[in-house]
Amino acid sequence: MTATTSDNSADPQPRPSFDWITFLSRWGTLISLGLLIILFSIGRPEVFMTLRNMLNILNQVSILGMIAFGLTICLVVGLFDLSIGAMATFGGYFAARFLMELNVENGFAVVIVILVVLALAALIGMINGALIAYLGISAIVETLAMSFVATGIILGISGGRTVYATEIPEAFTIIGQGKIAGIPNPVLILLLLGFVLWVFLEHTQTGRNMYALGGNREASRLSGISFSRYALIAMAISGACAALGGLVAGANLGAGRPQGVGDVYLLNAFVAVFIGASTMKPGKFHILGTAVGVLLIGVINNGLSVMGVQTFWQYIVQGGILILALISASLNSVRRS
Amino acid sequence: MTAQDIPAASGSDAAIPAPGPDSAREVLTIKGLTKQFPGTLALDDVSFGVRQGEIHALLGENGAGKSTLIKCICGAYSATGGDVLIEGKPVQITSPADAGAAGIAVVHQHMNLVPTMSVAENLHLGEKLPRRAGLLNWSEVHRRARQVLDRVGVDIPTTALISELRPEQHAMISIARAVSAEARIIILDEPTNALLPHEVERLFDQMRVLTRKGHSFLYVSHRLSEVFQIADRATVLRDGRLSGTFDRSNMTHAGIVGAIVGRDGALAERRVRSHSTDGTLMRVQDLSGRRADGISFDLAAGEIVGIAGLPGSGADETMNLLFGRRRSTRGGIEIDGKPVRLRDPGDAIAAGIAYVPRNRLAEAVFHADSVRANVTLPSLAKYLREPILRLVHRGREDEAAREVTERMRVRMPGIEASIDDLSGGNQQKVVLGRWLSTGANIFLLNSPTAAVDVGAKKEIYDLIDELAREGKGIVFASTELEEYALVCDRVFVFAAGRVAGELRGEDVTEPNIMTLAAGGALAA
Ligand SMILES: Nc1ncnc2c1ncn2[C@@H]1O[C@H](COP(=O)(O)OP(=O)(O)OP(=O)(O)O)[C@@H](O)[C@H]1O
Ligand SMILES: [Mg+2]
Repeated sequence: MTATTSDNSADPQPRPSFDWITFLSRWGTLISLGLLIILFSIGRPEVFMTLRNMLNILNQVSILGMIAFGLTICLVVGLFDLSIGAMATFGGYFAARFLMELNVENGFAVVIVILVVLALAALIGMINGALIAYLGISAIVETLAMSFVATGIILGISGGRTVYATEIPEAFTIIGQGKIAGIPNPVLILLLLGFVLWVFLEHTQTGRNMYALGGNREASRLSGISFSRYALIAMAISGACAALGGLVAGANLGAGRPQGVGDVYLLNAFVAVFIGASTMKPGKFHILGTAVGVLLIGVINNGLSVMGVQTFWQYIVQGGILILALISASLNSVRRS
Repeated sequence: MTAQDIPAASGSDAAIPAPGPDSAREVLTIKGLTKQFPGTLALDDVSFGVRQGEIHALLGENGAGKSTLIKCICGAYSATGGDVLIEGKPVQITSPADAGAAGIAVVHQHMNLVPTMSVAENLHLGEKLPRRAGLLNWSEVHRRARQVLDRVGVDIPTTALISELRPEQHAMISIARAVSAEARIIILDEPTNALLPHEVERLFDQMRVLTRKGHSFLYVSHRLSEVFQIADRATVLRDGRLSGTFDRSNMTHAGIVGAIVGRDGALAERRVRSHSTDGTLMRVQDLSGRRADGISFDLAAGEIVGIAGLPGSGADETMNLLFGRRRSTRGGIEIDGKPVRLRDPGDAIAAGIAYVPRNRLAEAVFHADSVRANVTLPSLAKYLREPILRLVHRGREDEAAREVTERMRVRMPGIEASIDDLSGGNQQKVVLGRWLSTGANIFLLNSPTAAVDVGAKKEIYDLIDELAREGKGIVFASTELEEYALVCDRVFVFAAGRVAGELRGEDVTEPNIMTLAAGGALAA
């Protein structure tokens, strides 16, 4: 090909100048996380900045983290999943209930039961995905409806009765209460899940296609990427992760509660994922960002209670941080538009 | 200086001084304008002026800084340095509202209409809606909207939703909105990209009427023939710097092109192509869809076939059917002698077909993603480490992205730059380039040079030629009729859903295409 325009090499050299807006929109959330940690460490050095408390924080946010990681996947595709709260309750209750009914004792059978529960949750997620993709229903409305249905089913089957610790095998509760090499099991599960989903999103073709769909659905279709297929996969992952979170919560609690387990996590998961989308890669949902969002929530809650601040402050600070995160993320787009 | 100091809005002709002999009076003066993006100096000390009652063309390669300049003028970006003067007085414009108050109306390169609202509502955006008894007076809203559209001769129902309309209709509505504001400075950033020749004519007529009333235009375009047709003066940017301002008297083709590309540029010219066209690559038989009926043709390896026609004529529909964007109702396609079923674009890609859609932003760009990801997406399967987990080999992917962007001469800070930060023409190169590595044999190109500068246009023509010489089959469509003659071996002209005629060789001319497209017959 003959050249009529100048070569790239002839372009004026970029002149680097420090750009505060870009810097803040990328690193603002991480900086505030760092500042909070420093603040709390100064406030209560003997309590906050200890290995024990750090593991404690991780343990406290592990369930939220699992749910938020799953949610990240479907937000990448551009779908809201409001059924994660109900799916968490679903996972916690049915794992306990099946174990009780089947009177399972040995570890292997427990694993099978868990896999069945997760598969069921994934299946419900796929139904969500199918309804959204094939009938063109809005994801928000569909998943909200599904969460009512799921809540109803759990209440119907349980009759409102909690499955108690005495009815659940220890092989199950150890998932939520045990430790390996001093690290609580839920933290290990969280790290493993986060790693797997990070690889999935960033380094596999499936994940990359999901980002493409979130970026431009029509362009993706014209590149041969089928929305329905990825909607199914994303919603299945989201459902299964939520159920996993609920299940670990149940194991931790030593009970299978038929209501109120997941609701706490629903909003916080969204907060974490959106904080994440304003971290490092502004405007992009990603696992590392979500991890930062989750940590931020954990540090705020733990730090403020360690400092002996009243609960209402936790809400205010958390809300404030979210607003700041969103502002810093939007700085970039404001300038760009 | 604040927004209040800006001279009063010019809602009526009265506010505009009548054009006199003093037409060298500058209404808009740009002084030393500089804009620094992180890593890119998009504008470097640019100065020029737009006189009253003139149509001033703003030219330059993709990424030269034209859109950036406009955005600095209208307050969408804040300039790093320099001044904007209106009627010789410096103004501080920091928002579209300020720009409106200063008498500036802008049609941006990228559509700025609200898809979910009606045409009438869009025409009133940012204005106070007429009321009656405290409630919105809808009949008045629609009546005014009708008036605005009639001025530019657009017969679109004012109740239609923007999302239901075609891109060229969007463009006309945006233009109607700017024109109706009677702003004394109307800025149009590549307004004719989606327009057809008769629509362009209507727009130009309207522009001439307005200049006689004393309005001025700053007009960005890559279509030099249009520029010579309408512009009184032209300013050329190059790499963010002023390359020159030309008066009508010294506006020569060679001079302008030289200023744009920085040396004596060769313009694209008609090629005498002598490639072999044996071996049928694709056979289309009686292909029919909702808006196209009984389309049959053969595409030989190495052949470039044009598909031309007005909107709704079946030309676009044929493109869509060939790529499986729409399902055919009858007829079929054979590739390499084997019938293929195209239920969706995925099937078409699997059959070795590539497609560049007309509307880059809505249909081709993966927003907020890197250039690399935008290039490699349809060919990712080639860079996998293994087929089960489908882990992508980043090294090979990066290499492929670099290869394509180099071959296409994409101007960018690097393959990890966000696609949204590239200029329009460079985005288009990325979109085209992504198909080079998929191994496709048939290329469906729908306006592949939209928003692309003269130099790059030629590069794209050359690329199409190169593909043809490699034995690929190409189906080409464009809103710029002159391109058919530059690119195609033969052209099918569509009217009313059918092929109205086939033109070959020397017969591929703009007038012939227009005649057939309008349903006329060619003189023997
Ligand atoms: N928001 C942004 N952030 C960073 N760089 C940008 C941004 N917008 C534009 N640029 C860069 O500034 C330069 C000028 O871009 P601009 O869009 O003004 O070009 P243009 O002359 O309008 O080109 P085209 O004819 O392709 O529309 C380009 O190098 C582009 O990559
Ligand atoms: Mg531009």
